[in-house]
Amino acid sequence: MPKALKINKSVDEGIKELLEFLIQNEKIKGVFTLKKMNDEGAVSYSLITDLDELKEAVPLYPFMPVNAGKVLSAFSLQAATKERVAAVLRPCELRAFVELVKRVQGSLENILLISLTCGGVYTLKSLNNGNLAKQLPQYWEAVKKAEIDPDIRVTCRSCENFIPHLADMTVAAVGKKDIDNECVILLNSQKGEDFALNAPGSAITEEMETADTEKLKKLRVEQKEKLFDDFDKNGVGTKAFIKTFAACLGCHACSHACPICFCTLCDFDSKSCEYQPLSFVSELSQKGGLKVPPGNIFFHLGRMTHMAVSCISCGMCSDVCPVNIPVATVFTRVGDSLQKVLDYIPGRDVEEAVPSGTYKEEEFAEVGEQ
Amino acid sequence: MKSAQKEKKSNPQKGKILPADEGTRKAVLDFLKKSLEKSYFDVLLIPAKTPETKSYSWILLKDESLLEQADPLPPVMTVQGGNALSSITKHGDPNLRIGALMRPCEIRAAVELFKLNQIDLDNISLISIDCPGAMPLQEYMVEPDKIADSFKTISEKWEISDTLRPVCQICHRFSLASLLPSSEPESSSDQSERVLPASDLHIGLIGTENKNIFFIPVTDKGKDILEKLGLSPEDSLQDWESKVEEMRKSKLEKKEKFNQEWQNKIEGTDKFVAAFDACINCHNCMRVCPICYCQQCYFDSQFLNLSPGDYLERAEKRGALRFPLDTILFHLGRMSHMVLSCVACGACEDACPMSIPVAQIFTLVGDQTQKDFHYVPGRNRGEPLPLQDFVEDEFGEVETPSEGAEVSTEEAEKNA
Amino acid sequence: MNGSIGVYVCECGPNIKDRIDIDKVIEEISSKEDIKTIKRFSLLCSNDGKKFLEDDIKKEELTHVVVAACSPKDHEKTFMNVCGKAGVNPYLFQLINIREQCAWMIPDKEEATSKAIKYIRAGIHRVVLHNPLEKIEIESNPDVLVIGGGISGLEASLSLAGKERKVFLVEKTESLGGMAKKLSQLLPHQGANLSTIEEKIKQTEKDENIEVFTSTEVTDVKGFLGNFEVSLKADGGNGEEQKIKVGAIVVATGFRLFDPKEKPQYGYGKIENVITALEFEDMIESGKILLKNEKPPKSVALINCVGRDDKGYCSKVCCLYSIKFAHHLKDKLSDVEVTDFYIDLCLPHKDDQNYYEEAKKKGIHFLRTGEVKIEEKGGKIEVRYKKDGKSESISVDMAVLAPAMVPGEDTSKLAEMLNIPVDKTGFFKEVHEILDPISTPIEGVYIAGCALGPKNIPESIVQSQAISGKILSSLIPGKKIEPEVKVSVIREEFCTGCQTCLSVCFYGAISFDSFKGVSVVNEAICRGCGSCVGSCPSGAIWSKHFTYPQLYQEVLAALK
Repeated sequence: MPKALKINKSVDEGIKELLEFLIQNEKIKGVFTLKKMNDEGAVSYSLITDLDELKEAVPLYPFMPVNAGKVLSAFSLQAATKERVAAVLRPCELRAFVELVKRVQGSLENILLISLTCGGVYTLKSLNNGNLAKQLPQYWEAVKKAEIDPDIRVTCRSCENFIPHLADMTVAAVGKKDIDNECVILLNSQKGEDFALNAPGSAITEEMETADTEKLKKLRVEQKEKLFDDFDKNGVGTKAFIKTFAACLGCHACSHACPICFCTLCDFDSKSCEYQPLSFVSELSQKGGLKVPPGNIFFHLGRMTHMAVSCISCGMCSDVCPVNIPVATVFTRVGDSLQKVLDYIPGRDVEEAVPSGTYKEEEFAEVGEQ
Repeated sequence: MKSAQKEKKSNPQKGKILPADEGTRKAVLDFLKKSLEKSYFDVLLIPAKTPETKSYSWILLKDESLLEQADPLPPVMTVQGGNALSSITKHGDPNLRIGALMRPCEIRAAVELFKLNQIDLDNISLISIDCPGAMPLQEYMVEPDKIADSFKTISEKWEISDTLRPVCQICHRFSLASLLPSSEPESSSDQSERVLPASDLHIGLIGTENKNIFFIPVTDKGKDILEKLGLSPEDSLQDWESKVEEMRKSKLEKKEKFNQEWQNKIEGTDKFVAAFDACINCHNCMRVCPICYCQQCYFDSQFLNLSPGDYLERAEKRGALRFPLDTILFHLGRMSHMVLSCVACGACEDACPMSIPVAQIFTLVGDQTQKDFHYVPGRNRGEPLPLQDFVEDEFGEVETPSEGAEVSTEEAEKNA
Repeated sequence: MNGSIGVYVCECGPNIKDRIDIDKVIEEISSKEDIKTIKRFSLLCSNDGKKFLEDDIKKEELTHVVVAACSPKDHEKTFMNVCGKAGVNPYLFQLINIREQCAWMIPDKEEATSKAIKYIRAGIHRVVLHNPLEKIEIESNPDVLVIGGGISGLEASLSLAGKERKVFLVEKTESLGGMAKKLSQLLPHQGANLSTIEEKIKQTEKDENIEVFTSTEVTDVKGFLGNFEVSLKADGGNGEEQKIKVGAIVVATGFRLFDPKEKPQYGYGKIENVITALEFEDMIESGKILLKNEKPPKSVALINCVGRDDKGYCSKVCCLYSIKFAHHLKDKLSDVEVTDFYIDLCLPHKDDQNYYEEAKKKGIHFLRTGEVKIEEKGGKIEVRYKKDGKSESISVDMAVLAPAMVPGEDTSKLAEMLNIPVDKTGFFKEVHEILDPISTPIEGVYIAGCALGPKNIPESIVQSQAISGKILSSLIPGKKIEPEVKVSVIREEFCTGCQTCLSVCFYGAISFDSFKGVSVVNEAICRGCGSCVGSCPSGAIWSKHFTYPQLYQEVLAALK
């Protein structure tokens, strides 16, 4: 049975105590985690090096202002960090970071990865209603019971990858009835164990996957299947696809929020995708009208071909869409399908090459066969 | 330096009054239909309902039958008209005669983009229309029918409802500015005549009790449109002008209050930073802003990227470093780049996923800084952008701080 | 990148050694920075020093070099040359000024040392991001276009023309000589008769290295220093187009006279016998000073400063030529009364005072008043003026007006064609009255004579000679031009063609490619000032030697 650290504090306080220990004993220079910005519930990721500032940290706050994979990528883009830091991030954020590392957009070196069995996050809009604070009790109840809080992101409700296999340490949350008094931090790797040496708390052993996590997984898969069914009935085919994205403004907020979309200048933001005068003339000669700015559907399909294979379904795209298009649902459905066909799970293994960059002689035969 | 002009004498403008028996929307669309039938325009640029949704999109419309779904004043502003127009001519003139019907702030944005060489206006006729405002986009997307109903009442009665977008509630430039007496700061460049005004033709709706619509020709092109469609501008515009002035006064009153209120809310580093506490640095505001025309925004580029060692050093200086970085720098930087051309259209606030009052903040700053340069963005095609123009005596308030401090806007205008 | 950096600290005799703890510098830099070597030397700019540097760079196989010594103004080129000789691209080099900016201004040794260390670290972090820029050489044409065949143009042509340098002299009117030729005589201390002018015209026409085009106009100018392409049209701009290639352009288009009709108070064009100075010169030329009724005048008023207040500047030459007229009148018509009206008397040259005194001795009256008013009264001219607050007047037969000098009529057209500025008086504007008085922001385009503003003939000649000096020394036949290397460059994919950079470029180095819809920097004209870089909101323009990463890293390292 894998080793774990048990701290007799609530799960929020326990993880903070561990972080404090790590900084104080100079095992890490700083930690990436969520930090309070004000008293109205606004949070932001922060690289915290000072213990006083750490007091304002809220590592397990169920909110994702930005996918932390993007944050770690920005941090380690130019080079691997020479000094050790820790990062507290959700399973999908970790998978996103791994996908970015595969594309040389960051480095895992010297980063202690701390995650949790994840109960999901609320949408960005929930903060605006001022209700987020009121939601918290309901959220943690669902976590304890290994159930789904109905108000979390659609992608979270259907996420079966809520167990972070690549983390060095994992805060056990899902299904743990006594998270108000006890914080169990699983040590998933040798690195995790090394960092936890002499940490406050008692050494225990505990499994990461339990009956409760299995229960939640089943529920989540059910949700996913419902979501996919619904989509398959109403969202598939050219017409349906166009209808889904009909309200699209072409703002490209989705691609810029997406952790996998890392291009400095996205092709769809560049001049090459802008219409030349003749294109307008030719399209208008064939149709009675043309939506401008043009090219929205092309953008979404194009982005899909570029990144769906690595889509980790975090749901940032839907959250930032000004016109409430269920982008994440579409991309999750297609991503899931594509990943199955290619037998690829994004973020599962940093050594596993991205399919678009590999050549296998026997692959995707279904397409070749008629 | 010219002293700020007091009330200008209004040109005794003549227009054309048409009956709107089936409602103003139909009357406007009929006019546009005629312009297509008579081949005055090859295509129109107008918002239309997106099929099978409740949303609206800009359509470059060739086929008259599509006019059935068109709406000159939808309850929301989805894509800013300046952006729609810019996407058409950015890489050259497609040589289509386009009649573009847009809200005044969209027209003004288009004029700013024209000054920045992003729009070619040679084959485009700009048609502005009295605007009652727009409703918050995100609210509309959640409850389209309810919001559309509110909007219908608001636009029929010309109420300054507090359900409208905040920047619309204080917008005193909702009609055709250039022909009416105004308290606009006089341009510091020599633009004494109303040379090359913003739109070619204006459609007046306010003060008509929805019984008529007014057509006001502004440029020779505008006059030509009316004449070619058999509508000679011979009617008095008195009713409309007086109602516009009334509404303008009410809006200006609201604006003064708004300016004071927001000055208190965000003045000073602490307050300004706090306003952006919830900002996730997604840059949506920049993306939908018509004035933000850069192919790649400086704040999206890799220029601001540092090594992990540098990040850690920065973090250690203050004990914590917010990621994504440079949130406040982004807003201040964007502000310094575009606020002199800010037309207060509110697209930014509509697009913010965290409901930060970006438009209100930028409108406040835009208002103050534009006054300092005696500049009104988009009022006049020939008026050079302050950042591209050299005026020998300019911005004296900055050089002599004792004069610059505590100067009210009227005084600043007088001293100009 | 696998590079190796070498740092060299110069003792600069005692200058740096005594004020900065160089050992400490070496110790700190070695421990804090990833460099191949750091050494000190007594005087790096000496022959020994340069040899040492060259040898050591080769020995250590360095790719980037930092020298901490004096001001770049002193020896940047020196050390860049050494790098070049040692096989390192001269731009992968940074000179850190620890003399003027540290040793010479900070009395406390510890403080000075600490600052020097910061500067050197900043330089190291910067130099690793430098681009290995290459010098460009472009062919240049030594020939010169002179626009305007007046005295300035003639002088410039004569000074410049030679076997290896052709001058194209383009004159709008039918003949050379300009305004100077319209005079009947010069001032006595300028050599009274016009033979000087005649001589110059003859010389010019004879010179086989000067090609004269009369009745010809310049219709278009393209290109830049060393490589201008000019279009000419004969027949007053209506004839066939001819193209010539030159390396420099001298604008000597002179002036016109203010039209006194614009000031009705002088009665010009209405009252008989009110004439301008040029008309009076014609009379002198014809040999007879006569009124309209063919009789000689018994009294003449010379009115100066006509139009001075309107224009806002003094035209410098009129006071003297009015005195010339006064002398002439007194010499030719023995009993004539001459009154010279002026607002201020302008007698700046060595012999002017004497000329004025002699005029007074001849009985010429000089009256200092404000502006005068000319009216007709009983067939004679009444000149009304104010003296000590009282209204007075005199009655004369003839009034000669000295109108202000105003810019030539083609000034604004030429300014646009050549992209050179005019100031609020309408005359062309030089770059700097003291530091660069005959240059324009456009390299290779110069202005001489009254095109720049009122001046007399000797001054015009001096300016033309100055320009010739500049051109002779910079545009050498057979020698290529090496334009600035550290220029700006626009990244096409990121440029949206808003032309903000174009509007701030003082040197006209940016043009707009309308096919691609982007702005383009002409690297041969660009002076590397960086205004465009600052003006681009997107960062689509980079300076080749002042990129954002270079600047940021330099600053960050300095603040460590």
